[in-house]
Amino acid sequence: MSEHVRSQEEIAARVKALESILIDKGIMTTAAVDRLVEIYENEVGPQLGAKVVARAWKDPSFKERLIEDATKACAEFGISGLQGEDMVVVENTADVHNVIVCTLCSCYPWPVLGLPPNWYKEPAYRARIVKEPRRVLREDFGYDVPDSVEVRVWDSSSEMRYWVLPAPPEGTEGLSEDELASLVTRDSMIGVGPAASPVS
Amino acid sequence: MSTGLRPDATELGDARRRVEALVAGLPGGRPGEQAFNEPWEIRAFAMAVAAYNNGQYEWSEFQLSLIESIRQWEQGGRDPDAEPWSYYEHWLTALETVLAGSGLLSESMLDERTKEVLATPRDASHQHAHRDPVAVDPPVR
Repeated sequence: MSEHVRSQEEIAARVKALESILIDKGIMTTAAVDRLVEIYENEVGPQLGAKVVARAWKDPSFKERLIEDATKACAEFGISGLQGEDMVVVENTADVHNVIVCTLCSCYPWPVLGLPPNWYKEPAYRARIVKEPRRVLREDFGYDVPDSVEVRVWDSSSEMRYWVLPAPPEGTEGLSEDELASLVTRDSMIGVGPAASPVS
Repeated sequence: MSTGLRPDATELGDARRRVEALVAGLPGGRPGEQAFNEPWEIRAFAMAVAAYNNGQYEWSEFQLSLIESIRQWEQGGRDPDAEPWSYYEHWLTALETVLAGSGLLSESMLDERTKEVLATPRDASHQHAHRDPVAVDPPVR
């Protein structure tokens, strides 16, 4: 154990190296580790996405800033040091529905959304959401996007990570920011489902 | 959801209870008490459990190693500003120690591999931002 104080990047590299050695030696599989990670995936990272969305729903000028420069707007919530990984928020409207993917691996705006769900990393999702987005949304996520609405699929890379600003559900006009944030699901920020409706 | 893209909620709940029963006796307690701030932390956590599940060591061995790592840190008189508390760094140290103890791993092997990881350039094409959608399914009006 060296005395040198390691950076987060160095530690992350060491963990990755350790995992690769253990997999090479047949001690574990990536799938086994993924399954364990899945249990806690909702608890990793700041996960401020819902709060950002709620602010955007309540405050039109914040929403403009968010769409203009998401990285800068998210910094207003204390998210800093994204190390050159810009975020872009794409807004769902009555005419356009957006959904995100990383076709090459699993790039994901984790400081805002936490860890990506395992299915997001699977080849099945990554290929099919590009080829037949409407069908995947309907059949795998039970989300029927009307034919009159355009579907746009955005490919995140290590330089630029997309996430979705879902449309505010009906009947949410009078709610507080906290109440609104509780309606914003992770799936709605990926674009595979709508935000939740308020329980009346 | 029948296609299997998404995990079954009951299975996840059961898996979580099993893991929490395992880590209940550790310093720091359940993972929720030592929140994960970085993706590597959850990865290190999961690896320790996976290696145990694979019979690499008794859980008590890992537990002792973790306690020892924390104890050494506490007694080391470190400057808390220069070396802030990082629970999962201890977790990683404990895991490395237990695996090295059984001869599975050496520090030099791990140092080598770590250097390789740090030196690997990011995929050249994957670094480029994609400013337009990768696919558009137009509306039918």
